Amino acid sequence: MEKQDNLDNINQPEEVRVGVYVCHCGGNISDVVDTKAVVEAASKHPNVKIARDYVFMCSDPGQKLIIDDIRENNINRVVVSACSPTLHETTFRKALRRAELNPYLYEHINIREQDSWVHKGDHEGATAKAIRLTMAGVEKIARQDPLEPIVVNAEGHVVVIGAGVAGMRAALALSRRGLGVTLIEKSAQMGGRTRELDTVYPTEEKAADIIAQLEKAVRDAKVDVRLNSEVEAIEGFIGNFEILIKSADSKTAKARAGAIIMATGFNHYVPYEGEFGYRQSPEVLTLPEFNKLLTELPPSQKLTYKGREIRSIGFIHCVGSRQTEGIHQPQPDGKVNDYCSRVCCTSALHTIHRTLDRFPDLHIYDLYKDIRTYGRGHEDYYERASKRGVLFFRYTDDGLPVFTPPQKDKTATLTVKDVLTWNEEVTIPVDMVVLVTGMMPRNIANLITMLKLPIGADRFLQEVHPKLRPVELANNGILVAGTCQGPMDITECSSAAGAAAAKVSILLSKDTIEMDPFVARVDTARCDGCQLCLAECEYKGALTMAENRAKVNPALCAGCGSCVAVCPTRAINVAGWTLDQFDAMIDAIGAEETESELVPA
Amino acid sequence: MSGQNNNTKILLITTMISSYPGANTVGQARLQYSPGTYIIRVPDPVVFPESFYMRCFEKGIDGIIIMSSGSDCPYEGAYRRLSERVGRVYNRMKESGIDPSCLKLTTICTVCKAAFLKEINEMQANVIKARSTQKESAA
Repeated sequence: MEKQDNLDNINQPEEVRVGVYVCHCGGNISDVVDTKAVVEAASKHPNVKIARDYVFMCSDPGQKLIIDDIRENNINRVVVSACSPTLHETTFRKALRRAELNPYLYEHINIREQDSWVHKGDHEGATAKAIRLTMAGVEKIARQDPLEPIVVNAEGHVVVIGAGVAGMRAALALSRRGLGVTLIEKSAQMGGRTRELDTVYPTEEKAADIIAQLEKAVRDAKVDVRLNSEVEAIEGFIGNFEILIKSADSKTAKARAGAIIMATGFNHYVPYEGEFGYRQSPEVLTLPEFNKLLTELPPSQKLTYKGREIRSIGFIHCVGSRQTEGIHQPQPDGKVNDYCSRVCCTSALHTIHRTLDRFPDLHIYDLYKDIRTYGRGHEDYYERASKRGVLFFRYTDDGLPVFTPPQKDKTATLTVKDVLTWNEEVTIPVDMVVLVTGMMPRNIANLITMLKLPIGADRFLQEVHPKLRPVELANNGILVAGTCQGPMDITECSSAAGAAAAKVSILLSKDTIEMDPFVARVDTARCDGCQLCLAECEYKGALTMAENRAKVNPALCAGCGSCVAVCPTRAINVAGWTLDQFDAMIDAIGAEETESELVPA
Repeated sequence: MSGQNNNTKILLITTMISSYPGANTVGQARLQYSPGTYIIRVPDPVVFPESFYMRCFEKGIDGIIIMSSGSDCPYEGAYRRLSERVGRVYNRMKESGIDPSCLKLTTICTVCKAAFLKEINEMQANVIKARSTQKESAA
């Protein structure tokens, strides 16, 4: 009775006629789950008009069964119990569309990865589970309204923020695909951090040459480059962003964009005063400072610094990276940088080779936690360094190297408990210490606040998923490229930029953008205007009030459902995932029948 | 661990982007666990009000594991809201005489196979213990 009441609450003028299709998956499912028993149980549900099992539901004949039932038997809701929805949910939605049924009147139940494959020794238990899950699917889809994709107009223009290698590569790729691009750069030049480098690994090309080539290509491609400029304000949503750009001379300009690519780059970690003698002893430099010194040094037989000849250098890895709470000094937000900056091992070894190429008689000592030369050709730098006489010492966090500044007649020293020689304490005289510093996220607080961008525990911008959606943010229409997302080298930045540009190109390939309809939706008849939902929404403009009722802008809503939980009248729900649907699913799962009652002997 | 499920019903609330694919990874590895586990997927568990969890217990669910994306949650502020809400559910569970160990908020990613199984095993043990304590109290 309660179920019927729930069904009456939604707008369903037609009779709900559910078709249930149970897949054998060629034995992957049916060797464990009694698919006939699932069909028999489903058939007893008053809304299930047809229930079938088949050897491969995803095959053409399998899909045809569904299409024929929709056309000939007036099935208007479909449940398929099969493999994971990540594999075939789209397949079956397309089948529904071919049968001219709304593709969202479909529920996919996973009885393979989450049932038959994980309960092999318990046929009765697996079958009972398949029955309960299938019934839950029936209850959910019986309460499902037809949904339509959200369609918004799309500007064929993209704004890329940051003109380092990632930003330039993304801008170039987008322009070559026929999209308009505005490239906004805070500084006076393109090139970003790459401009600080002399040569780059693993190709040993001149960084300046790479930048010059890219810059020429970007200019030739007619990208609208805005140097000395910053984003002042951003309004709008996917397909329709409006960006106010302010230049250093306070002039403003507006750009309209269908999508935004964040390529804002990174900052070098700056050691605190006294960290391995930094800023207290002139002998201690960071890796970027040493690289600059090396680049600017006039041709000479000897390496000199502040009037002193340098005969030995100690490099200390992992300064500002892979930090441990309680051992390292936290950042202003109270957190240590526990992440690996990834690129600094190869970067340090590359610098060591540059140094030895010019000053082959130098003694170089390399103090490391782990050498992580992970990229193609990177390990070669490590092997060659050993062959060239670089001495490696391995330390751990409970035995950090200790820097002692030079005394009257003694040079500075580094003391380290070397793990490679069973914690033997070694004191190394050094004329210079180079701190191999890692990457920190650049301060883009204004953009984070304006766009409500998600940041991870490491404070870098956080993609939706590192493998499944690696260059997309949860904010629709905003993508990431390069080191604003996390430490990566130039090769990886270029790949990320290409991926972001490809995603945007697909997104803006038509005049309109179609998005999944799974965003918040308000039943205005139920909404009492209490505004509790507004306080929960983190996405600016996604939820507003209109005529004393909550109103959703579907293009701005991320579909998280934060608003849903606080609504006292259940007026607001995420379309396709309503609380009434979840309640009905729980009723089906929690139903009292025992396994033996569900599964016939 | 297979077969013996002591007729417990454990609800696993998973996120579409993280723990649901994680549950699939466990399946692809053919790791075995009790069939008394029912996985539902949601965009984010923050969608559920406190009353949803209480209703689950009323309707025959013995234990609930919320497998969130934790601090990696892509939705701004959602994990903080979820953890605050779960805190309030614990209070309601105590008021209703339900053992709070029958609800757990945890973080599971796409490859957390061992953690996924550990959470299920621990929740089963918690549910069985809670049942036995309840029986003793009733006696």
